[in-house]
Amino acid sequence: MALLEIRDLTVRFATTDGEVSAVNGIDLDVERGQTLGIVGESGSGKSQLAFSIMGLLARNGRASGSVRFDGAEILNAPPKVLNRIRARGIAMVFQDPMTSLNPYMRVSDQMAEVLMLHKGLGKREAVTEATRMLDAVKIPDARGRIRLYPHEFSGGMRQRVMIAMALLCRPDLLIADEPTTALDVTVQAQIMELLADLRREFGMAMILITHDLGVVAGACERVMVMYGGRVMERAPVGPIFADPAHPYTQGLLAAIPRVDQKGERLTAIPGSPPNMTNPPPGCPFAPRCAYAMPVCETMPPLDPFAPGRERACHAGLATVRAGHAPQPDLPEPAAADLDEAPAGLLHEAKP
Amino acid sequence: MFGFILRRLAVAIPTLLLLIVVSFLLMHAAPGGPFTQERALPPQVLANLNAKYGLDEPLWRQIVNYVWGIVAHFDFGPSFVYPDRSVNQIIAAGFPVTLTYGGIAFVAAVAVGVALGVAAAIRQNSWMDYLAVGISIGAQVLPNFVMAPILVLVFTLWLGWLPGGGWGGPIYWIMPVVALSTSFMASIARITRSSMLEVLGSNHIRTARAKGLPERAVILRHALKPAMLPVISYLGPAFVTMITGSVVIDMYFSTGGIGRSFVDSALNRDYAVMMGITILVGALTILFSLVVDVLYAWIDPKIRY
Repeated sequence: MALLEIRDLTVRFATTDGEVSAVNGIDLDVERGQTLGIVGESGSGKSQLAFSIMGLLARNGRASGSVRFDGAEILNAPPKVLNRIRARGIAMVFQDPMTSLNPYMRVSDQMAEVLMLHKGLGKREAVTEATRMLDAVKIPDARGRIRLYPHEFSGGMRQRVMIAMALLCRPDLLIADEPTTALDVTVQAQIMELLADLRREFGMAMILITHDLGVVAGACERVMVMYGGRVMERAPVGPIFADPAHPYTQGLLAAIPRVDQKGERLTAIPGSPPNMTNPPPGCPFAPRCAYAMPVCETMPPLDPFAPGRERACHAGLATVRAGHAPQPDLPEPAAADLDEAPAGLLHEAKP
Repeated sequence: MFGFILRRLAVAIPTLLLLIVVSFLLMHAAPGGPFTQERALPPQVLANLNAKYGLDEPLWRQIVNYVWGIVAHFDFGPSFVYPDRSVNQIIAAGFPVTLTYGGIAFVAAVAVGVALGVAAAIRQNSWMDYLAVGISIGAQVLPNFVMAPILVLVFTLWLGWLPGGGWGGPIYWIMPVVALSTSFMASIARITRSSMLEVLGSNHIRTARAKGLPERAVILRHALKPAMLPVISYLGPAFVTMITGSVVIDMYFSTGGIGRSFVDSALNRDYAVMMGITILVGALTILFSLVVDVLYAWIDPKIRY
């Protein structure tokens, strides 16, 4: 039995413009101690997937399907059941450490209340334990700083506080939702390193949600690529980078700017993400896909094609692979040749 | 913080002086005077009266004398219309009354308003929300000069439960408190509801939920404090308005508060009483806007003075 078993999870939001489908029937298993990266661009449904697991969807959100944690169904479970799982079973680190900590409470109070609630500690023991955890996330002078308010910390330090708070009850699963997106690049690396260290130390499973493939490469064993609320490809981290089997994954990889190719045009996937109020029928990526065919009007199943690897694409594996080695013959996106363009005048790429 | 309070109190002095000068000038600019009557007084009598109350002196001199009287003796002068009463006595008689029913009305408005607003916000779009919003709209659109006679009609004339006016034990307080507090309660409920809804949608509340806190702790420990900020800035001026009395309440229920005295003094050109109550309201307004600022700093640690 996997630690987390998700079956046919769907998340919809009722909005004034109609119903938005954020997540469309996702199956997912996370084993104990395993790390899974969920990659996708903004609006691909990755954060909503995480929120639905924790029962943290916005008021207008509805989730259906099944989420089992340690064998027990937790999707749409009553608050009492969820509150037993939260923090102790599954904890979460959020994207924006500036606003995710309560600005009106001292860090000591915010951290201590978790331990007082779940472990029944007294205030003083709870603060001592929280201080120890701040030490563990390498906050200098944790003893003095735990008395401060969140705004008295820098962004990176705040995210360390967030992480420490999430780990207080030694959860079995940590969900990190874009934990480094709001931070400086140098701080990003420190936070990722810290997360990796702590994960090993505590033996937690981790779901790392990001739009940054570079972050995934260093931290995850498996990767799930999402688009339009669906899984496009799932594989161990090596093959995702070495041998992407889905056109969308290829596009994402091609879009990573490379330091060693100076003067090249930045590659982008043409088009923009689908409007999820009115998603295209079939494969959500089809409108932007170089391999799109009439059959893409129906959603391809997520098929295993090699050990541990799955893809959801109608185009043949060989075709997609062949398209990858050189840059795929996609229509050129509007991109600027920064070496040649005179300042302020960017010429369109000619096909 | 202590320095901030001292600075603010220091600024209050020139503010009050300005208030005194401007009101004094406006008051004297208005036609008529305290001794204007239907049948004109003989000139000699009028001159004597003016001399007695110092009204024959130049205006700047009157202002200086007035301010000196307050600073040196805390004496706000005699009433021009009721020769046997000083302004201090009039305020001392009326203010405790308004303070009593105004203070109780304030506490009632805050307690009921905040509770209604929070209940509406945490059950948004449920019957509870609609009921709370309905009550607050009803209370808002029913002005106290409509509310007061309805209360008297029902509870005094029909049911005979409550005295229709006068001032005595707590039984006399009920109708003035209800009539005065409802519209404030309604405003507080609406402000609380919208600010609570905004706070409940914020990221740190999601964090609090992710920690597994029961909903009650999420609301009381994490959401209530920030949700109170806009309410508090409304409460400062509202409190002053309530404890300085309402002429409507004083008229309908014959409570004898200073709201009535204030309006009477304006009509009678009773300069000293008018000035005294104006200064009282001005000083309280300054004081409670300071209290609001201090409360803000207490709630929001990012605010430092």
